[in-house]
Amino acid sequence: MNATEWKEKLSAIRDSFSVSIGQKPAENPEALELRFLGRKGELALLLRDLKDIPLEERKPLGALGNSAKTEMEARLAELKGAAPAASAAAAPGLDLTLPGAPFPRGSLHPLTHTMNRLADGFLKLGFTMSDGPLVEDDYHNFEALNFPPFHPARDMQDTFYVDAKDQNGKGMLLRTHTSPVQIRALEKAQPPLRVFHTGRVFRSEAVDASHSFAFHQIEGLYVDKGVSMADLKWTVDAFMKDLFGSGVKTRFNPSYFPFVEPGAEVDMSCVFCKSGAGRCPVCKGTGWLEVMGAGVVHPNVLKACNCDPEKWSGFAFGAGIERFAMLLYGISDMRMLYENDLRVLKQVV
Amino acid sequence: MKILYSWLADYIENPPAPEVLAAKLGRVGLKVEELRKTGASFSGVCVGRIDKIDKHPNADKLSLVDVHDGKAVMRVVCGAKNIAVGQKIPFAKVGAVLAEGELQKAKIRGVESEGMICSAGELGLEGYDNSGILVLPADLEPGMDAAALFPKSDYAMEVEMLPNQAHCLSHYALAREFCLFYGLKMRDVRIFTGEAAGQVVPVEIKVPDLCPRYGAIVLKGVKGVRTPEWMAARLRAIGCNPKGNLLIDGSNYVMYELGQPTHCFDIAKLGGPKIIVRKALAGEMLKTLDNQDLKLDPGMMVIADASKPAALAGVMGGLDTAVSEETDAILIESARFHPPTVRLASKATGIKSESSYRFERGTDPELPLRAARRLAGLILEAAPGASVQQITDNCPVAYQPPVIDVDPARVNAILGTGIADGEIYACLRAFQPDLKDARPWKFTVPSYRQDIESAWDVAEEVARYIGYDVIPSASNMPMRPSTVSPLWTVTTELRNTLAALGFSEVYNYDFSSAKELKACGLEPEAALEVKNPLSSDYQYLRPTLLSGLLKTLRYNLNRGRETALLFEAGTAYARRDAGKSEEIYCAGLAYGPVPEGGSWQGGSAAADFYCLKGVMNRLFTGKGGFRYEKPKKAPAYFQPGHCLEMRLGGGSAGFLGKLAPAVCAAADFKDNNIFYFEIPLSCLAAAGKTEFWQKIAKIKPVSAFPQNWRDLSVILEEKHEWAELERSFSGVQDLHSARLVDVYKGKNIPAGNRSLTVRFTFSSMEKTLNDAEVGARMTAILDKLTKNFGARLRA
Repeated sequence: MNATEWKEKLSAIRDSFSVSIGQKPAENPEALELRFLGRKGELALLLRDLKDIPLEERKPLGALGNSAKTEMEARLAELKGAAPAASAAAAPGLDLTLPGAPFPRGSLHPLTHTMNRLADGFLKLGFTMSDGPLVEDDYHNFEALNFPPFHPARDMQDTFYVDAKDQNGKGMLLRTHTSPVQIRALEKAQPPLRVFHTGRVFRSEAVDASHSFAFHQIEGLYVDKGVSMADLKWTVDAFMKDLFGSGVKTRFNPSYFPFVEPGAEVDMSCVFCKSGAGRCPVCKGTGWLEVMGAGVVHPNVLKACNCDPEKWSGFAFGAGIERFAMLLYGISDMRMLYENDLRVLKQVV
Repeated sequence: MKILYSWLADYIENPPAPEVLAAKLGRVGLKVEELRKTGASFSGVCVGRIDKIDKHPNADKLSLVDVHDGKAVMRVVCGAKNIAVGQKIPFAKVGAVLAEGELQKAKIRGVESEGMICSAGELGLEGYDNSGILVLPADLEPGMDAAALFPKSDYAMEVEMLPNQAHCLSHYALAREFCLFYGLKMRDVRIFTGEAAGQVVPVEIKVPDLCPRYGAIVLKGVKGVRTPEWMAARLRAIGCNPKGNLLIDGSNYVMYELGQPTHCFDIAKLGGPKIIVRKALAGEMLKTLDNQDLKLDPGMMVIADASKPAALAGVMGGLDTAVSEETDAILIESARFHPPTVRLASKATGIKSESSYRFERGTDPELPLRAARRLAGLILEAAPGASVQQITDNCPVAYQPPVIDVDPARVNAILGTGIADGEIYACLRAFQPDLKDARPWKFTVPSYRQDIESAWDVAEEVARYIGYDVIPSASNMPMRPSTVSPLWTVTTELRNTLAALGFSEVYNYDFSSAKELKACGLEPEAALEVKNPLSSDYQYLRPTLLSGLLKTLRYNLNRGRETALLFEAGTAYARRDAGKSEEIYCAGLAYGPVPEGGSWQGGSAAADFYCLKGVMNRLFTGKGGFRYEKPKKAPAYFQPGHCLEMRLGGGSAGFLGKLAPAVCAAADFKDNNIFYFEIPLSCLAAAGKTEFWQKIAKIKPVSAFPQNWRDLSVILEEKHEWAELERSFSGVQDLHSARLVDVYKGKNIPAGNRSLTVRFTFSSMEKTLNDAEVGARMTAILDKLTKNFGARLRA
C-alpha cells in the first residue's frame, strides 16, 4: 500500500463512521466503538499498515490517523452522553487563523539596501563599477587628488595612519574618501571612461549622532571630450529622480573639494515635507536637503593621471551612503546603523 | 568663523536684513550654519523695585505686586513664584516693546495691571534662566533703562569656512565678497595715513622666499592704552575674550576685521633694536605667549631680535618680548609668511592659533602695511600722546599678480552654458574694474584671491557671480555599457542567499582591540596596527570578522534574544607592506534554537554543525568543484575535529565549524555551541568573472520511465565515515541517488557501531526496471558495503 492508497482508505473509514453514527436512531455506541476503534477495528488495522509506508511519508499519515481517531472518540463520547447529534455538524473545523509554519527570514543591512539602490542608479546611467583598496597610500588618497602636502584642505579629512609602508617607503593610511578610486581608474584605463565606486571610508572623528569613524560613500567619474558642468547637472538630476521620483528637484550651490573646479554641493528638494511649510523636521523647514558633492574634474587631477586637461574634461559626484540610509529609513542617529540590534535589523525588508 | 552682523554691516552700504544676508551668502558658497539673535532688542523697560506683594483676590496662583519705577509705585498682576520684596526686576510699562510685541493695558481676573514684570523670554533674551521673572542685580537704581544692562541687539552668525576661502576670513573680507557678488557698495575702513621717516628698528629678512613682505610700524608713548568698550563688546560677541590692553585686543580686532594677523613687540624687551626674519637654529628655544617652552628646529621660521627668537613666525609670539601694562614703545609686525612653513611649524609644535590658521591658508600680499596702519590708527585714537616713529614696508620680493587670459568660449565650455560674452565681462569687471575689453581679456587676479589660478577657477567665479542656477541641466552624453565587478556579483549573491535562509546582515567596524584578538586566539602583533587609534578598543584592523560577530551576538543575547543567525561581508586585514593586505570575507555564525521561536506544530532544535553545513551547501550550490575537506590547518578559533575546510577548484573557500571552547569562554559565553563560517570572496570572484551564460549548467534529460526505490539499513563500525560509503556507490548501474535517511545508535546496536539507513533510487533511461533487476543492484550494493566496511544488514 502506498501513501495515497492509505489516505483514501482512511477517508473511506471516516466516511463510513460518519454515516453509521449519523443514523437515526443511532447505532449502539459500544458496537460502533468496537467496529472502528477496537483492537481489531478498522482504524487500528489501518494504522498497523503504516509500517509498510516509507519512513518520511509515515509521519504525516500517522498524524492524520491519530486526528481521525481523536475525532471519532469525541463523537462517540458525545453519543454516549446523549448529546444532541446536531452538534456534530457545528463542531469546529480547522482553526485557519493558527500561525503558518515558520520560515524565518533574515535581513539585509539597511546600508546594503541603500548601497545597492544607489549603485543601480549609477549602472542605469552607464557607469561601470570600479574597485580600490581601503588601505591606501598618500598619493592616491591626497596628492593626486590635488591635496598638496601641507595644504589645509587635508584638515577636512582627519586621517588614520597604519603601520605599513607603500613601495616608496611612505606610510599607508585608511582612505578618507572613495575618490582615490578615481585615480586608480584613470591609471588603469585612459578616457573616455565612466566609472563609479562604493565602499567604506574612514575618518579619525569622534562618534556621535551624525559622525562615525567608519562610514560609506559612493561616487562616479566621467571623463570624455567636452564634458561640462551641464552634463554633471543633468546626470545628478537624473540620478536623484531615479531615486526619489520625477517630482524631485536638485540645485547646485558653490562649494569646495580640492579635486574639482568648479565645485558644487547638491541640494535635493525635501520629499519628506508633510507637516506643511516650515515645520518639516527633516529639512528643518528649508525645503532643501544637502545630499552630494560634485564638480568638474580639476585639471591637476587629470594631469596627475597623464590626461591632457586641454583635451579631456570630466565630472565627478559622490554622496555618503549613511546620509541616504538615514533619510530613507527615518533614522536620526547614525550609531543605530552600527549597533546591529536584530530588533532593528529585522525590520528592514 | 563667528561673524557679528552689525560689524559686517559696517562695511556694506544699505546692508540687507540678517536672514536675507545669510541666505544670500549660502548661494555663493558661504554657508551660514547658525544665525542667532543676541543682545537686547526691547524698549520701554526700566529697572523696578518690588515694594509689596499681596494675594490676588480672585486667583490663587497670581499676586498683586507694588513696583517702584523710580518715580511712582505701580500695581501689577504677576504669576511668577520667584518674586520677593526688595528685588530689582525688569519692569515693562504699558507701551513697552517686548519680544511678543507692544504691551497693552490689561485687566487680569478683574484687577487692572499697570505693567508687567518680565522674564528673560519675554524680553527676548537668550542664555538666561527663563523659569520665572528675571532677577536683576540688587545694586541697580530703580528707573534706569533696563536695555542698557544687556548687549545691544544683534545677530551672531557661524559661517562655515572651506579651505579655499582664505579671502573671506574676516568681517571686512566677507563684506567685500558679499558686495562683489551682489553688486553692493562697500564702506571702507578708516586707515591711518600719517608718515614717519625714521628707522628706529631696522628689519632684516634673511629668508625672502618664506617672508616676502614685512610691514613694521613703531609707536612710542602707548603706555597704559585701554581698549575702548565698543571694541571689547565686539570681541566678546565673537567669543574672543578682551584683555583690556589695546595693544593686545587691537591686534586681535584688526585680524577679525581685515584678516591680517599682526603682532606687537615690546621694543624695550627686544635684545637690541633689530628684527631679523630667519630660520631657527638647531637647539634654539622660545617661550611662547601661552608659556610653553618650544624647542625650535631649522625647518621653522622665527622673528628674532639681534640675539634670540622673539616669535615663531605666523604661529605665536614669545613671552619675553610680549607687551604688558608697562610697555611704552612697540613694533607692530604685519607680514606675509610662506603658508606651508607656518603649517609645518604649527603641526610640529601643536600650536594652532587664529594667526597660523590664516597664514597657512594664505594671506593677502597687499594687506600687511594696511593692517599695520589700521592697528596704529586705533592705538593713536585711544592714546593721543603716542607718536609714530617708523613706518617701513620691507618687501624683498615684489608681489606680481597673476594674469589669466580669459576666453569666454572656454568659460562656457567648462560650465556647459551659453552665457553672453558681455555678462562674463561684467563679472570680471566686478573683480577688476579697470579690465580692458580687448581679447583675450587679461584678467588680473585680485591680490586677495590667491586661489584663482586657471580658467577653471575663473569659470567657477563666473558661475558664482551669475548664480549656479545659470548652469542648465542638459547633456548629450553618449550611451556607455556598464558592468559590476565580479566581487560585487558574488557578494550580492551570498548576501541574498544568506538573508533568504534566515541570516541577518550586520555591519561592524574594521577595528579590534588586543583583548578581542587574543580572545579569538590570535596574536595582536600579527595584525595591522593603526598608528593613531581613537582608543585602544580600535587599535588593530581586524584580521577576521569573527571578533565583531561575537560582539554582535553578545549584544543581542543581552537584549533577550535566544537565537542569532548573523553574517557580515567585509574586509579583513593582514600585516603586509606594499602588498595586498586586504581580503573581503563573508562570515557568519549560528547560535540557539532554529527556527527561531519554534512552531506550535513542533519544536525547534539547537543550531549545530550540520545546520551550518546545510547553509554552506546552499551557498555553493551550482559552484563547480565545490567540496569539503578535513583542514590541514584551520584557524585557531575553531575547535579541532569540529571544523571542515571548503574547497572550490584548487583553492580554499574558507572554513566552517564549531568555535573552540576557549574562544567562547574568553568572549563570555556560557555554552560553546557557536557555529561559525568564513569565506574569502576572492575564491568566488574568479567564478564571477566567467560570463553568465558560461556558468549556466545545461539541463540533463530525465527518464520517461518510473523510478524505483529501496531502503537499506546496515550496521557498521562508527569509524567508517558516510563520505566513504557514498563514494563506494559510484558505478552502481542505474543508481540515480543514494540518500541517507536515518542514523541510529543505541538499543540493539553493538557499542562502537551505528546503523545507517539509505534510500537508493534507481532509474533507467531505457525501460522500467523490474523487481529482479532492482534486487540485483541492491545485492551488489550490500556486497560492496560488506566487503569494504564490514557492514551487515540490520534485522
